[in-house]
Amino acid sequence: MTKVYVGMSGGVDSSLTAALLVEQGYDVVGVYMKNWTQDLPGMKCPWADDLADAKRVAVQLGIDFKVFDFENEYRHKVVEYMIDEYKLGRTPNPDIMCNQEVKFKLFLEAALADGADMIATGHYARVDDGILKMAVDQNKDQTYFLYRVTGEALQKTLFPLGEFTKPHVREMAKERRLFTAAKKDSQGICFVGKVGIREFLSQYVQQKPGEIIDKSSGKVLGHHDGAIFYTLGQRHGLELGGGLPFYVVGKDMTKNEVYVTTDLNDETLWKETVFLGAVHWINGMPAENRYSIRVRHRAKLVDATLRYEDENVTLALDNAERAVASGQSVVIYDDDICLGGGIII
Amino acid sequence: MPNEVIYLDHAAATPVDKRVLEAMLPYYSEQFYNPSSPYAPAIAVRNDYEHAKAVIAQSIGAKADELIMTAGATESINLAFGGVSGHIVTCSIEHHAVLQAAKRREHTIVEVDERGSVSVASIADAITPKTELVSIALANNELGTIQQLRTIADVIRQERERRLSVGEVTPIYLHSDASQGVGQLDVQVARLGVDMLTVNAGKVYGPKQVALLWAARSVPISAAIVGGGQERGLRSGTENVAGVIGFAKAVELAVKHRKGEADRLDALRNSLQRQLLKAFPEAIVSGNQKRRLPGHLHISFDGIDAERLVFRLESRGVLVATGSACAANKGTRSHVLTAIGLADSVADGSLRLTLGKLSTEENTHAAAAIIIEEITQEYARMGKIS
Repeated sequence: MTKVYVGMSGGVDSSLTAALLVEQGYDVVGVYMKNWTQDLPGMKCPWADDLADAKRVAVQLGIDFKVFDFENEYRHKVVEYMIDEYKLGRTPNPDIMCNQEVKFKLFLEAALADGADMIATGHYARVDDGILKMAVDQNKDQTYFLYRVTGEALQKTLFPLGEFTKPHVREMAKERRLFTAAKKDSQGICFVGKVGIREFLSQYVQQKPGEIIDKSSGKVLGHHDGAIFYTLGQRHGLELGGGLPFYVVGKDMTKNEVYVTTDLNDETLWKETVFLGAVHWINGMPAENRYSIRVRHRAKLVDATLRYEDENVTLALDNAERAVASGQSVVIYDDDICLGGGIII
Repeated sequence: MPNEVIYLDHAAATPVDKRVLEAMLPYYSEQFYNPSSPYAPAIAVRNDYEHAKAVIAQSIGAKADELIMTAGATESINLAFGGVSGHIVTCSIEHHAVLQAAKRREHTIVEVDERGSVSVASIADAITPKTELVSIALANNELGTIQQLRTIADVIRQERERRLSVGEVTPIYLHSDASQGVGQLDVQVARLGVDMLTVNAGKVYGPKQVALLWAARSVPISAAIVGGGQERGLRSGTENVAGVIGFAKAVELAVKHRKGEADRLDALRNSLQRQLLKAFPEAIVSGNQKRRLPGHLHISFDGIDAERLVFRLESRGVLVATGSACAANKGTRSHVLTAIGLADSVADGSLRLTLGKLSTEENTHAAAAIIIEEITQEYARMGKIS
């Protein structure tokens, strides 16, 4: 019997994942990955309750349950990476890092060492012989977060939820009376939660007042408490008073200045060509060709032509895209196959 | 969780008795006055408050002016330890409040035997000429073991006499945390021979965060909270009138029904223990079976993960406590179970079942059947896996 270690977060998705695998006849072990336990201002980290819920479901399903402690690794490889990237003025994605470094590396290795044949998670994605494919539920598809996982890791991975829509998953969880069937989904970045990235970062970086400057006139419009907290294309939180909304079109990390405009058509807000570094391909380099790409999770797929330039990739977009910030990931698809992607330079 | 709940965790918290709640409510609304205010309605509240204290004091054979009302038993314990600067003797299975308070001073922690009983001789051995406080709980909250406080008090008296005879001036006092037990045992301070006693309303069907420290007038207490000088200046802060009124009502009811209730719970517990041991003869019952709180059963099932059992039972509507670590606190096994020398695999399979007012013959019997079913299933599951 194939032994599968399921990452169980205490949420409904991973709970149903474990239940489906039990029904499919796998020898299932539930594993809670203890990655982050710290509270944030205004948010109690729910890890202990989540762990108990994951265990409740494991008990309900009659499967063994373990806790894998990745707290140190997670802090170094995900949280510190994220803070460092922000300090460099970029907009990183910690969930992508978490999948690359923790779930599909540390967890996979630890599970295999513990006797697993395969691992499974509650991601909405499909995997077919090491090839990553979009989920059936286009609304929930999570392949954007999975593009940096290796083909070898995917060979040993199951994503049972890839075939189902989220409402169907809820329904199936209810039918099985899973303890977590009605539990609310978590929001945002897992360790940041609802409080927002700004509050999270302000714990690690000192607030440093600087100027908000109108890009076209050069006029100082107001003040901010650190350019680090602003992202290209951002509209909210500028607190510049009434009138037309302002958008961030650039920032200078050394001068700690943020540049804004009210002109939605400002050229810096729109990009026709995107350069990618730190490129990762799940199953080898695809040929130079036209592909569909996604510049953020749940963004519409858009068409682009891929060309190689040394180790980097140039994407020529058919139509310019708005708010494409450096540090952000672009994921490349061939039909429903996720080929990989890179990080905007 | 099923609608019908069987609560087997009375040692953790007790439901406030309806009559207690009724007695309390007017003091939140019509009789809201500050007992320190000078006008007649406030003075009436002051009188009710003092009367409530007198009722509570009487139930333990003490005088009202010897009680210092506190917000919870932990505060009472901290207050008891606060006036002491010398050496402290306590035992290894005390509540964390006592152990942590003792650790702030020079201290000796006396071991207990496998039943959780502290030997009087080892306390006598631990006492040095510098010892100022000995603190031993009346009954242990995990095992239910009742300590021989009167004999321990004799040892303290002898030490006091010895000091007197050789002209040593260091005082020595005996404190006892009676949070567990006051509801079920007849606790009289003079008979126990203690100098300080902690009593907790939250464990006797009264409100939580209401407790007291009784201290004989001779004991020097130093204020832990200073301010407006309430409670003889030893615990400042506006009196928790409703809480203390509720405490008095709870104590009154406990005294009235104590004997019958203790016998009832004792019989129920014994029957529960018999049923579980019949189904699992290898299960280990901990605690001193000759000197144990009525209604208290600590039982371990070797190899079982007690937290799994808690979740299984919870899904059947049976609420129990575990003596072992929960998965979120890996490695922090109960210090009490370590102290009585339970092997890890036994300690990790421990349940604490505590009966009380909500227990009936019928629901205790039903709980036993459910517990037996779930343990059988868990053992079967483990057998399949290993």
